[in-house]
Amino acid sequence: MSSSLILRAEGIDKSYPGVHALDHVDFDLFEGEIHVLLGENGAGKSTFMKILSGSLPKDSGRITLRGQEVEILNPHHAWELGIGMVYQELSLIPSTSVAENIFLGRLPKRKPLGTVDWAETFSRARNILDDLGVDIDPRQRVRDLSMGERQLTEIAKALSMNVQILLLDEPTSALSEEERERLFHILRGLQEKGVAVIYVSHRLAEVPQIGQRVTVLRDGKKIGTLPVEQADEATLIRMMVGRELGEQFPKTEVPRGRELLRIRGLTVEGMLHDLNLTLHEGEILGIFGLLGSGRTPFARVLFGVDRMDSGEIFVDGNKVEISSPAEAIELGFGYLTEDRKEGLIPHLSIPANITLASLKQICQLGFLKHSEERQAAEKYVRELGIHTPKLHQRVEFLSGGNQQKVALAKWLCSRSKILIFDEPTRGIDVGAKAEVFRLMNDLAGQGVGIIMLSSELPEVLAMADRILVMAGGSFTAEFARGQGTQEDLMRYAVVR
Amino acid sequence: MVKNPSESGVSALGRVGTWVATPQLRIRLGIRIILVVAVLLFIYYVSTAPRFFSATNAINVGQRTAPDIILAVGQTMVIISAGIDLSVGAVVAFAGSLASVAYCYWGIPVGLAILMGLASGALLGLINGLIITKGRIPDFIATLGMMVTARGLGLLLTGGLPVPSHLTALTLKAYLPPEIIWLGSGTVLGFPAGPLIALAVVILGWVILKHTGFGRAIFALGGNREAARVSGIDVDRTKLLVYVLMGVLAALAGLVLTGRMNSANALMGDGMELQSIAAVVIGGTNLFGGEGGVIGSLVGALIMGILRNVLNLHNMQDFAQRVVMGLLIIGVVLFDQLRRRYGG
Repeated sequence: MSSSLILRAEGIDKSYPGVHALDHVDFDLFEGEIHVLLGENGAGKSTFMKILSGSLPKDSGRITLRGQEVEILNPHHAWELGIGMVYQELSLIPSTSVAENIFLGRLPKRKPLGTVDWAETFSRARNILDDLGVDIDPRQRVRDLSMGERQLTEIAKALSMNVQILLLDEPTSALSEEERERLFHILRGLQEKGVAVIYVSHRLAEVPQIGQRVTVLRDGKKIGTLPVEQADEATLIRMMVGRELGEQFPKTEVPRGRELLRIRGLTVEGMLHDLNLTLHEGEILGIFGLLGSGRTPFARVLFGVDRMDSGEIFVDGNKVEISSPAEAIELGFGYLTEDRKEGLIPHLSIPANITLASLKQICQLGFLKHSEERQAAEKYVRELGIHTPKLHQRVEFLSGGNQQKVALAKWLCSRSKILIFDEPTRGIDVGAKAEVFRLMNDLAGQGVGIIMLSSELPEVLAMADRILVMAGGSFTAEFARGQGTQEDLMRYAVVR
Repeated sequence: MVKNPSESGVSALGRVGTWVATPQLRIRLGIRIILVVAVLLFIYYVSTAPRFFSATNAINVGQRTAPDIILAVGQTMVIISAGIDLSVGAVVAFAGSLASVAYCYWGIPVGLAILMGLASGALLGLINGLIITKGRIPDFIATLGMMVTARGLGLLLTGGLPVPSHLTALTLKAYLPPEIIWLGSGTVLGFPAGPLIALAVVILGWVILKHTGFGRAIFALGGNREAARVSGIDVDRTKLLVYVLMGVLAALAGLVLTGRMNSANALMGDGMELQSIAAVVIGGTNLFGGEGGVIGSLVGALIMGILRNVLNLHNMQDFAQRVVMGLLIIGVVLFDQLRRRYGG
């Protein structure tokens, strides 16, 4: 590496009660380098980033910035040192405009009264977004943006502060392929300007696409740093999980049973257009669509969260009306939401969350049957491998992958026959991902019909028996298993 | 968080002093000291209060606190469901007045009069719930409106006079029935009835929250409304029921209060809505919903009741007592925040 060292961290150590989050981790970063930080959930990636960005104090260790030892006091101090962080959990304010979010806390002021100079605010925001090649109106409110656009706004905010070191915590977890490509393009541009990037990710495939070096953490320890040329997927997986994983997408063939679900002409004015599909027992139906294709609105309408304007739904051959999630659950539907937070009650315990969709079943005359609840929870904690120090742990204290498993257990507990998975692997690590796929296979084997909504091409291609491509609120193509290639699917996903 | 670079290398303090070596631990120690001092102060004032440790005084505190406890239980459920009910003080007055007017002036039998009082609480609670769920009005605003409305209804009903009011300077137009008076000042095997009713309500609230599907739904609704809905919980129905229950409990509190005072009026229970919220918050229930319980609220209501009694025994004037109670509420919540942030 010819360029000079910009950041060095030595022996960084951090403990929480009961957890050694970081165990004497060393790390270095060169000017203009994109350094990928990999690790399973709970490996210590986020803790490390929080220490670098000043939002957590370290217990011990040294951080050197351009040869000078520094003590990063708080996030503001980190900004002053040229370290900017883009959070995994977006930190934007939904009710305000894009420009206001970009300049939050340092809006351009007009003399002499110190009132906000709006013209300046919007034009400077426009410039930053243009530099990024992002087509977002700076006057738009953040709550009207898609997840991907919010992420880009967040990056624009970081760049507006002239950072030399950009910390990105899973920036692509909410992005479509298209937006991801654009982000990579933007990052390469920044790299040419000498900005160094620490890039936390779960996606192995991204490592060679974007990084120069990759560091793997496991259980708070640094396992190693490799140049990307030496970091093939098998090596990285071995480093991350400390064991060989079987096939990443272990699809098993299941004979297709009788028809479970038929949808005819489902329409929501201006959003979903004349959608038709069938789903059979034991079938995994993939619906591939990019951001904004109508995937999630479709799932919400089908599950009774939102209303449809016209169309018919048949379950087991009987025409049904679904006007609330309660009715959908009664009919045997389960819905694993894209955003885990929408599916869980953070303050409640694991058992309470698992039985939430089956409250009637575990109640007798309105009273909870605590022992049955505990048994059900113990069963799913064991079967799904939910890692928790105690059964009655609140789910807010679980890692992302374990939260996802609790959310899934809720629908297993309610004995769903038709399961809707919206981006089931979003933001979870390789090991947990393989487990989720194994579970999907098991469920299909038991005759459950699964609708898998995803923007992950390899996952859809590997897991689905049949794939519908969605774009602009319509199904644009259908492929049987093994028929379509990534390119085919993508072609239909971008047509309008 | 307190961060000071010069303090990160304090290992020089050595093993002996490590437990106060970091700012966090020092704050934690400070929190404990404040807690101990507060408890000691409380014990000091209680033990030096004249006649505090007497059966008469204990019964007095119990009877005075009973309506507060009943309200706090209902308010706990409302707050866990991420709501708030500002109308309970007014419902206390209306329901107490209605039952009294019905018996004293309309000649309705006492059992029916009591039922009318409770039903009026249920109805006002139902209206609160409907405005919030169907009208999609924030809980705060809907119940604020009800607070003013129910006071007005009570004044219309009673003509602004106490019930029963006087016929001449010395004789009343009518008398409250012994059944209602018993609720506030009667005894069961020597125990005062009001506190027993309050205790029963606490147990009811505890059972509902911990052992029923309805209680689970309340926590889910307050913890994450959207997730609760997607999990098949009828969130509107849950909220409606919570407000109906609150209304019934407020009416019950109104009857107990009427019985203790041996008279009802449309202005009684003034400020009780805020006291009930304070008891819930002192008891550790999260004001944003999703976590908490009635046992804490019982303790919260008792702390406030005992403190008020002790200040009375020390002959502190009412105006100053208000200042002390206000500071208590702020202090407890501030203390709770520090404890949550720094542990210990």
